[in-house]
Amino acid sequence: MSASPRPTLSAIFSSDTWAVLLSIGLALLVRFGVLKVVPW
Amino acid sequence: MSDTSTIAAVPAQSSSRLSYWLGLVPGLLLLAAVGYGGKFIEQFIARYGKSHHLVLPNIEYVLWAILIGLIIANTVGVPTLFRRGVATYDFWLKTGIVLLGARFILGDIARLGGISLALVFIEIALALAFMTWLGKRFKLAPKLVSLLSVGASVCGVSAIIATQGAIEADEEDSSYAIAAILALGAISLFVFPVIGHTLHLSDHAYGVWTGLAVDNTAETAAAGALYSDTAGKIAVLTKTCRNALIGFVVLGYAIYWASKGQAAGIQNRAAFLWQKFPKFVLGFLLISLLATIGFFTKPQLLAVGNLSRWAFLLTFAGVGLRTSVRELSKQGIRPLLVGTIGEIVIALITLGLVYGADKTFHL
Repeated sequence: MSASPRPTLSAIFSSDTWAVLLSIGLALLVRFGVLKVVPW
Repeated sequence: MSDTSTIAAVPAQSSSRLSYWLGLVPGLLLLAAVGYGGKFIEQFIARYGKSHHLVLPNIEYVLWAILIGLIIANTVGVPTLFRRGVATYDFWLKTGIVLLGARFILGDIARLGGISLALVFIEIALALAFMTWLGKRFKLAPKLVSLLSVGASVCGVSAIIATQGAIEADEEDSSYAIAAILALGAISLFVFPVIGHTLHLSDHAYGVWTGLAVDNTAETAAAGALYSDTAGKIAVLTKTCRNALIGFVVLGYAIYWASKGQAAGIQNRAAFLWQKFPKFVLGFLLISLLATIGFFTKPQLLAVGNLSRWAFLLTFAGVGLRTSVRELSKQGIRPLLVGTIGEIVIALITLGLVYGADKTFHL
């Protein structure tokens, strides 16, 4: 019998959750000065 | 399976994962190119108008990006190579909404004043009720009615896109609702200042009216600024109050549609609602709360708000690229008619409310 493949991260989290995680990650990068200026 | 083949499966799995991520790149680049193209056209027109002393209408990048996407999708089509990346526009939408929380500090509401704030709530309730009624009268698809109602009551394009994600409506429905809101917003730029001057509205009253009745934030700011600088500021602040309520209205619609879908054999309604519940709304509220409690400095709030704009830029490009005019034409003229009638009635009602409140309470 083949070993069942490990579930990928994209299978564990929905795209909603990914979006929240990415957004919070980006916001924290801004908050702690890693991303200083974001032009528009 | 032998151990050897198990070990061999691991690099095979990682290589397929790598090819999955690489497969997103062409479409992502196309989203960025179309979105930035829209932004470039907006800026080019503004620069051209300024250097030639011409008063050109400010058509924002949103409309340009959607138009470029529409042209590509409905002429040459989107090649298969790009489709997976283009489909990520929904992910960028949710990311944009969460980051949008930074632009809406709940404390802003307090600065507007009690009467104006009451008008915001009245406008949202009236617009939701009237657009829903009108959409039903015209027998529009129920989710299209929801999108038009949210677009007319809360904050135009962002609210429509947020609701589309939350209630799983078709891209065609959201494109139609966005097109209707943007077209009517562009008309309001020319009509609202004329009405305001004719009725001799004060800067504050005109600003509140514009903030209540014009649905897309950029057009709200422009229509306000066309009247006076003060009117522009009040319009943006009033509109910000409407925008601040986006999460709650989207939440309401998400719960409504999720509960409608539970008719057959759902044992655990709470779990079902949680599964259907758009988690990005919570992210939006979290970022908004962090902004409200002073977790970010002002420049940091601006930076997070700009990140949101970039995410939306990719989203708007995707909206155009994923929209089929053939499918849209199947919808007919009725959605645009509903949008037009609804917007005119809402503009008149809010004008009456603001006019009355200004005469009674001196806004």
